[in-house]
Amino acid sequence: MTSAIQTINLSAWYGNKQALTSVSMSLEENKITAIIGPSGCGKSTFIRCLNRMNDLIDGFKTEGEILIYSKDVRYIDPVELRKSVGMVFQKPNPFPKSIYENIAFGPRIHGINSNRLDAIVEESLRKAALWDEVNDRLNDNAMELSGGQQQRLCIARALAVKPKIILFDEPCSALDPLSTSKIEDLMLELKKEYTLVIVTHNMQQAARVSDHTAFFLYGKLIESGETKQIFKKPKEKSTEDYIIGRFG
Amino acid sequence: MDRLRIQRIRELAIEKALFLCALASILTTLGIILVLIFESISFFEEVPILEFLTGTTWAPTYRPQHFGVLPLINGTLMIAVGAAIIAIPLGIASAVYLSEYADLKVRQIVKPVLEILAGVPTVVYGYFAISFITPLLREFVPEANIFNAASASIVVGIMILPMVSSLSEDAMRAVPRALREGAYALGATRFEVSTKIVAPAALSGILASFILAISRAVGETMAVTLAAGATPKMTLDFFESIQTMTAFIVQVSMGDTPFGSIEYKTIFAVGMVLFVMTFLMNIVSMWIKEKYREVY
Repeated sequence: MTSAIQTINLSAWYGNKQALTSVSMSLEENKITAIIGPSGCGKSTFIRCLNRMNDLIDGFKTEGEILIYSKDVRYIDPVELRKSVGMVFQKPNPFPKSIYENIAFGPRIHGINSNRLDAIVEESLRKAALWDEVNDRLNDNAMELSGGQQQRLCIARALAVKPKIILFDEPCSALDPLSTSKIEDLMLELKKEYTLVIVTHNMQQAARVSDHTAFFLYGKLIESGETKQIFKKPKEKSTEDYIIGRFG
Repeated sequence: MDRLRIQRIRELAIEKALFLCALASILTTLGIILVLIFESISFFEEVPILEFLTGTTWAPTYRPQHFGVLPLINGTLMIAVGAAIIAIPLGIASAVYLSEYADLKVRQIVKPVLEILAGVPTVVYGYFAISFITPLLREFVPEANIFNAASASIVVGIMILPMVSSLSEDAMRAVPRALREGAYALGATRFEVSTKIVAPAALSGILASFILAISRAVGETMAVTLAAGATPKMTLDFFESIQTMTAFIVQVSMGDTPFGSIEYKTIFAVGMVLFVMTFLMNIVSMWIKEKYREVY
């Protein structure tokens, strides 16, 4: 098994507040890894380290190593890094532009020739299972789509720059159950081509979609392993308590 | 029961008092507009409105009298355009810097300083123009008049700069962080995020700030009276002395023009033109704000 992402003793701070403590784990290629844990346990911080999104926050710093396909992210230009590590956010955040322009934005800034854009837009929308719903109104404003459609648009937007890894930061927490199940189906489809990491509050979701699960608590990685094993026979008492809903 | 009634009367009294306060400012505004209209009408009984609006010579205070307001409008527009050429690029650049690049500490220092710039009395800008900008300008352009439109434009530009930068920055900072993150996550650089995501999303606020600033430049009085001169002229040469509508009004109000004379009434007609211009600009600014609002 190749590991797409590996962290070694990763610690992180917002100012003086430590958010991650010495997290070492590796995430396999073409799998879905779910990161679970109660609010404030560092799971979002963890995935936002992977594409250096937290660099944008004043006073944020890390220690330890993050390797993406064996390359230390500190030595990769963030623009290049984020091209290969895409991200989908908690709340759908389409740009206030047309559906077409939302998808074309990424390829455009990376200098893709504009005569290839039509093909990329179609391909990305198809992969995100949105093409059939929007192909007759690509020039409409993306803000007119429903929440679930907006989130799939954001996935299509991420796909358009051809990443290898896609990070999902609680992608369904603002969506209704039907839209949620569409996104989950989509993730299962996408893992054939991409490595996916999903932060989720929803135990059932983690159990349904992921191959591996990692449980975080107070900024520490408590345990990680095959999803079945974590849910059926967790090694740690706190994992079990969290999964069966004793806290969190 | 009694307590309830007293309370209700008190509430009513407060409401009426507040209403009267609001009414006072509305009535004042109405009063000003009415005075402008009536005095202008009595002016136009003596001077045909067409002559006033199309004439190219403005000489109401000496014989033969001419009442063509175009030279004054020309002067006002020169100052407005000149000031805009300075304030818009600088203002938008500093807004982008403050909103997207500067870290918290820098912003906490720079923004109040910019806003202090907006609080400097305009007469100070006026003598800053004559005592500093004009001599400097004449180093480079020796043939420039002591009173000239360029110097006044520069100083008015500096004066309205904080308005552009501050209002544009507010508009840009109101763009949700999530939009920026969405763009960064696709590998956009800071510059691409600023110019392709944030600025378009804030466009309505930015355009509105331009228009408000220009409208302020049109109405600006003290600095242009001091720096631009008192020579109403149909010219586009920024190094000549000109006169704006506001400066003319100052000149007549301050001078010994007899009250009630035709010369005296000119200031109401000119004031009316000025009022219509700034009023239209404010309307346009509101309209732009509505029309170009990107819903995010």
